Amino acid sequence: MLLPVFTLKLRHKISPRMVAIGRYDGTHPCLAAATQAGKVFIHNPHTRSQHFNAPRVFQSPLESDVSLLNINQAVSCLTAGVLNPELGYDALLVGTQTNLLAYDVYNNSDFFYREVADGANAIVLGTLGDISSPLAIIGGNCALQGFDHEGNDLFWTVTGDNVHSLALCDFDSDGKKELLVGSEDFDIRVFKEDEIVAEMTETEIITSLCPMYGSRFGYALSNGTVGVYDKTARYWRIKSKNHAMSIHAFDLNSDGVCELITGWSNGKVDARSDRTGEVIFKDNFSSAVAGVIEGDYLLDGHAQLICCSVDGEIRGYLPGSAEMRGNLMDTSIEQDLIRELTQKKQNLLLELRNYEENAKAEVSSSLNEADGQRGIIPANTKLHTALSVNLGNETQAAHAELCISTSNDTIIRAVLIFAEGIFLGESHVVHPSIHSLSSSIRIPITPPKDVPVDLHLKTFVGYRSSTQFHVFELTRQLPRFSMYALTSPDSASQPLSYVNFTIAERAQRVVIWLHQNFLLPEDTNIQNAPFQVCFTSLRNGSQLYIKIKLSGEITVNTDDIDLAGDIIQSMASFFAIEDLQVEADFPVYFEELRKVLIKVDEYHSVHQKLSADMADNSNLIRSLLVRAEDARLMRDMKTMKNRYMELYDLNKDLLNGYKIRCNNHTELLGNLKAVNQAIQRAGRLRVGKPKNQVITACRDAIRSNNINTLFRIMRVGTASS
Amino acid sequence: MDLHLHRADYLQVGVTSQKTMKLLPAARHGATQKVVVGDHDGVVLCFGMKKGEAVAVFKTLPGQKVARLELGGLLNMPQEKIFIAAGSEIRGFTKRGKQFLSFETNLTESIKAMHISGSDLFLSASYIYNHYCDCKDQHYYLSGDKINDVICLPAERVPRVTPVLACQDRLLRVLQGSDVVYEIEVPGPPTVLALHNGNGGDSGEDLVFGTSDGKLGLVQITASKPIHKWEIRNEKKRGGILCVDSFDIVGDGVKDVLVGRDDGTVEVYSFDSANEPVLRFDQVLSESVTSIQGGCVGKDGYDEIVLSTYSGWVTGLTTEPVHRESGPGEELKLNQEMQSKISSLRSELEHLQYKVLQEREKDQQASQSSKARSAAPSFSINDKFTLNTDDASYSLILEVQTAIDNVLIQSDVPIDLLDVDKNSAVVSFSSCDSESSDNFLLATYRCQANTTRLELKIRSIEGQYGTLQAYVTPRIHPKTCQVRQYLIRPLSLHQRSHCIDHDRPMNTLTLTGQFSFAEVHSWVVFCLPEVPEKPPAGECVTFHFQNTFLDTQLESTYRKGEGVFKSDNISTISILKDVLSKEATKKKINLNISYEINEGSVKHTLELIHPKLEYQLLLAKKVQLIDALKELQVHEGNTNFLIPEYRCILEEADQLQEEYKKQPAHLERLYGMITDLFIDKFKFKGTNVKTKVPLLLEILDSYDQNALIAFFDAA
Repeated sequence: MLLPVFTLKLRHKISPRMVAIGRYDGTHPCLAAATQAGKVFIHNPHTRSQHFNAPRVFQSPLESDVSLLNINQAVSCLTAGVLNPELGYDALLVGTQTNLLAYDVYNNSDFFYREVADGANAIVLGTLGDISSPLAIIGGNCALQGFDHEGNDLFWTVTGDNVHSLALCDFDSDGKKELLVGSEDFDIRVFKEDEIVAEMTETEIITSLCPMYGSRFGYALSNGTVGVYDKTARYWRIKSKNHAMSIHAFDLNSDGVCELITGWSNGKVDARSDRTGEVIFKDNFSSAVAGVIEGDYLLDGHAQLICCSVDGEIRGYLPGSAEMRGNLMDTSIEQDLIRELTQKKQNLLLELRNYEENAKAEVSSSLNEADGQRGIIPANTKLHTALSVNLGNETQAAHAELCISTSNDTIIRAVLIFAEGIFLGESHVVHPSIHSLSSSIRIPITPPKDVPVDLHLKTFVGYRSSTQFHVFELTRQLPRFSMYALTSPDSASQPLSYVNFTIAERAQRVVIWLHQNFLLPEDTNIQNAPFQVCFTSLRNGSQLYIKIKLSGEITVNTDDIDLAGDIIQSMASFFAIEDLQVEADFPVYFEELRKVLIKVDEYHSVHQKLSADMADNSNLIRSLLVRAEDARLMRDMKTMKNRYMELYDLNKDLLNGYKIRCNNHTELLGNLKAVNQAIQRAGRLRVGKPKNQVITACRDAIRSNNINTLFRIMRVGTASS
Repeated sequence: MDLHLHRADYLQVGVTSQKTMKLLPAARHGATQKVVVGDHDGVVLCFGMKKGEAVAVFKTLPGQKVARLELGGLLNMPQEKIFIAAGSEIRGFTKRGKQFLSFETNLTESIKAMHISGSDLFLSASYIYNHYCDCKDQHYYLSGDKINDVICLPAERVPRVTPVLACQDRLLRVLQGSDVVYEIEVPGPPTVLALHNGNGGDSGEDLVFGTSDGKLGLVQITASKPIHKWEIRNEKKRGGILCVDSFDIVGDGVKDVLVGRDDGTVEVYSFDSANEPVLRFDQVLSESVTSIQGGCVGKDGYDEIVLSTYSGWVTGLTTEPVHRESGPGEELKLNQEMQSKISSLRSELEHLQYKVLQEREKDQQASQSSKARSAAPSFSINDKFTLNTDDASYSLILEVQTAIDNVLIQSDVPIDLLDVDKNSAVVSFSSCDSESSDNFLLATYRCQANTTRLELKIRSIEGQYGTLQAYVTPRIHPKTCQVRQYLIRPLSLHQRSHCIDHDRPMNTLTLTGQFSFAEVHSWVVFCLPEVPEKPPAGECVTFHFQNTFLDTQLESTYRKGEGVFKSDNISTISILKDVLSKEATKKKINLNISYEINEGSVKHTLELIHPKLEYQLLLAKKVQLIDALKELQVHEGNTNFLIPEYRCILEEADQLQEEYKKQPAHLERLYGMITDLFIDKFKFKGTNVKTKVPLLLEILDSYDQNALIAFFDAA
């Protein structure tokens, strides 16, 4: 049994995920964590006598070895590490929704203090790709930014949605680090400097990422899933009803390979093998775990695993010694194995006994009521499933439909569908009332996103009066574009927007792709090229045209730029296309984007004006205060009163101004996000190199504020005509 | 001294019932004892441990499921004869496994509990108690509610034969012959009885009882009256008690009380100098502990607690240290023993697997023919659906002999499903269309590997009634699921009580009509929990109930053709009136319903609610302040400048938050009940006041008792 080597109880709360250890003086590791009221505390148990006492930092009144750093804003991310390799000690980096502070704790000074318009939701410190100096990379509103120790912006790119987690990992085993970005649209993207080299779609918001070793990394989702990826392949994952607050890689059993340590919202900490996900160690805190980190807190030359709870309890664990032979828990492995084997034996015996009973049942003749109750059904009962498109009626909107039926008079008592991402929870249940039980059942399904989903069905089959049912387990795949119904072409309603590209594939292969990705009626017969098919979206009734010419030129007409992107990406992976240049035009969308860009400019100028106003006002306050106090000293109460009245009014103005600034800021953020997303979408219309070219070129166009070039790039894929 | 016990699993038999494992007396002091256990397959197995290997002494053929297993023998001699109760039959075995007795009792129900003392045999089925002496019928008693356990004070020490019955209606019934001498009210439905110290304590009259809501107590059964000695409340909300034994495991010369619970907890209570029980040890296993006994099984000279679990594991918690102080050679030997055990298990498994595969193939072929039948494999579910009195919620416990894959919960009444910390299963709520399919709740619990026990918490609303169904799918092949149904009764938050305060202002509902005693009884059973299904003996019967949430009471007295219901809560009467008239209409019986409303009762009920409401409001307010105060504390360093009230909040912050977390939505429930009270009060007057409800909620938002009472009076 592995026991903590030290336990501390600090009387400060710790904000989740905002804990870091750094050697701020070059030798002694100190723990820094964000706490309530926009403060960061630094726990320094090693140099008791010496305290940082300066305007920004003051000693905690509650604890002698804790100093508090005032940020005056809610801290949104925090880390520590080497920012300037020449200094020989660590910097503390604190991000908020508007700023990033790199702080020199030892000298009590700022390395830099930068305004970041996109906010800082996540931060990671280290070297990225070929950039020589360490970078503090922050992820915000669809944007990623990297700063060196002087605050120079050396790295900037956009990503699909708000960033929630970042990690540096040697993803392609080339000896250089790549950036892993987990965002709100459930995607993990891998950036080799500013080029996306891989994208993995998960089932929920990615809340944490951590490098394990080599190309392996761990991840955690907001629905309680944790797991490990090796490159783009998922090794294992587990789901819990609790949420993973923090994950970290640490070799706890001294076998030379890091385990994935997870801190959970219910206070549990567990270590799981990187290969199998098997728990090799666990411990419990009385409150949620805020962070899991490592550092040599005992100054004995060995790194400890340090776990902190939100209530300020800190425990450190040393890796298990060789004698423990990796056995960190209180139970003996042999005992567990015997239990497991015996359980298996019992299950097999149970099954055998069932076959015996079945054999007996066959002897007895006809099927009677009592048999039905005990769950006896004809052995040749089969279950049929079919997926189709239902165009809906007045009472029910259009949907994809799953039809399940049995092959005889048995009834379906209930259907459980386990699938990720298309239901409210992880499952959907259909349980008809006792009066309307029948041998077939129709289940409407409306996936919110165009993703292929595996539907794991569990169907309870029996008779009306049964108390025991047979469970039929099946898996059906819902195709990616199941929410589009094949309709007859009607050229009048053909969308103006289109994408146009040429592929070197036979038309039959395209037909196969159509069959795999759409729910086509069974009798659909598509003749040879050239042909065109027309679909109607079940979500909003918009049209989608796909036309193929003899030359292999494909035109997709739709007003939905995301759908066009999805179709291109789906085709590219089906036909294994590496690079694809696409011509695109989305007049409506581009017009909206133009408006957004103009608005962004407006908000920027308003923002500047408001900031200037605020600076003026704060000067005014200063002088008013001085004058009021002067008046008080001169016992001129009337003037003093007037001054304070003015001050009060000014304060009110400031508060109002603040509200306006806040609104302005949220609007600005929303619009910036729209712009970032537009670039991302334009990229998704292309594949491979052209995709990266588009993103880079778009970014350059935005930097140089050249709107017309931007649209040309989005249309044809390059800046030069 | 701390008690350290190490777990050692001995073997697994079939599913076991409560009190079906015993240790045979040792041949000499300190020697290992044999274990005898009976399971649901009807197999009685006697085994001993030799070098870490279980060696069977005898094993009987399968038969009817073993409901109880007791040891007996001549008085004052070693008790080493084995008696089992299976169906309505009692069988006796010698310690070598020779059957010497087979006694068909001719009871119509199967035997639930048994006690043996010399040649006296005490048996009980669901409602019937029977006393036999030398297999001859002596005494008989028909109980008013289900009998859970039976015991008799030790014949060696107490001259009179005094059997005691533990009955579901929270009573211990002390008998003399065929008559009840007196009844003892205990704090919960008693599930198990045991002689204190194994012999009845100093007086021979001390009895330990355990209840299904996890309480433990000691009463002395004197000839004329009971004396309550001590009682341990279930503060930690552990499971119900299934088995109790006395054994000196601590080693201080005083026998400790060993307790096994249905949530897998094993506890050891020892006694301090004042003879008060103190918890010395607890350990949580993953499934119900059905039997427990102290003794020595694994190795000479090391005491241990031997227990059996629901799925049939016989496990020891031994004082023998895991790392024995011995040379490295012995450790290796121990390892080898383990290894050989594992490899033999593996080969056995392989053999079985092969057999199963063959059978599967056969089954597959059979399924081609149209005449073949396929039966779902049967498995047993151990379930319990009980009302928790302290937070007025129901807990549903499902336990299966193998790992559970998933559980579907469906309900046709609006109920809330609450999270239970112990659960590791991933819950997912499904949207449901209540109009077309009668579903108000559809939720799936996907269990983690090796989960055999699932606990759910459900909050019901009085007046809304229907059925809750649980579809349990275990991880066995072929996949199958069983449905269990649980009734949510109209007055679901009431529990039986045995005393009533007659001074309260009461509202009365009287029913008259052409109905039989059985009919009116069935209606009461339908409306209220904890009423025996069988109509009680006699012409007229009275039951008392208490509302666990509001502490209001209900008295129901009924006979053929008449039923009288009295309650100080007008809502209770209103619900009863609605449900009873509906039930009677279903059976086409004409009912004359008359009621008498006491105006004072509304004020009385509001006064009962007042302290609860005020407490909750204050608690909510305090909890809201905690964070802000803590921030001030961090900023200022000390709290001397705060007013005492705030300082007090800071000091008690943890307890306050704990308490607040424990009773979610308590305030909303109270508001709901006040609203019901308001509507019901005027319903009896024939006015509909639904439009005034928003006004009432406004008053509740800025709560003041007098304003509320005034509003009730004025409207």
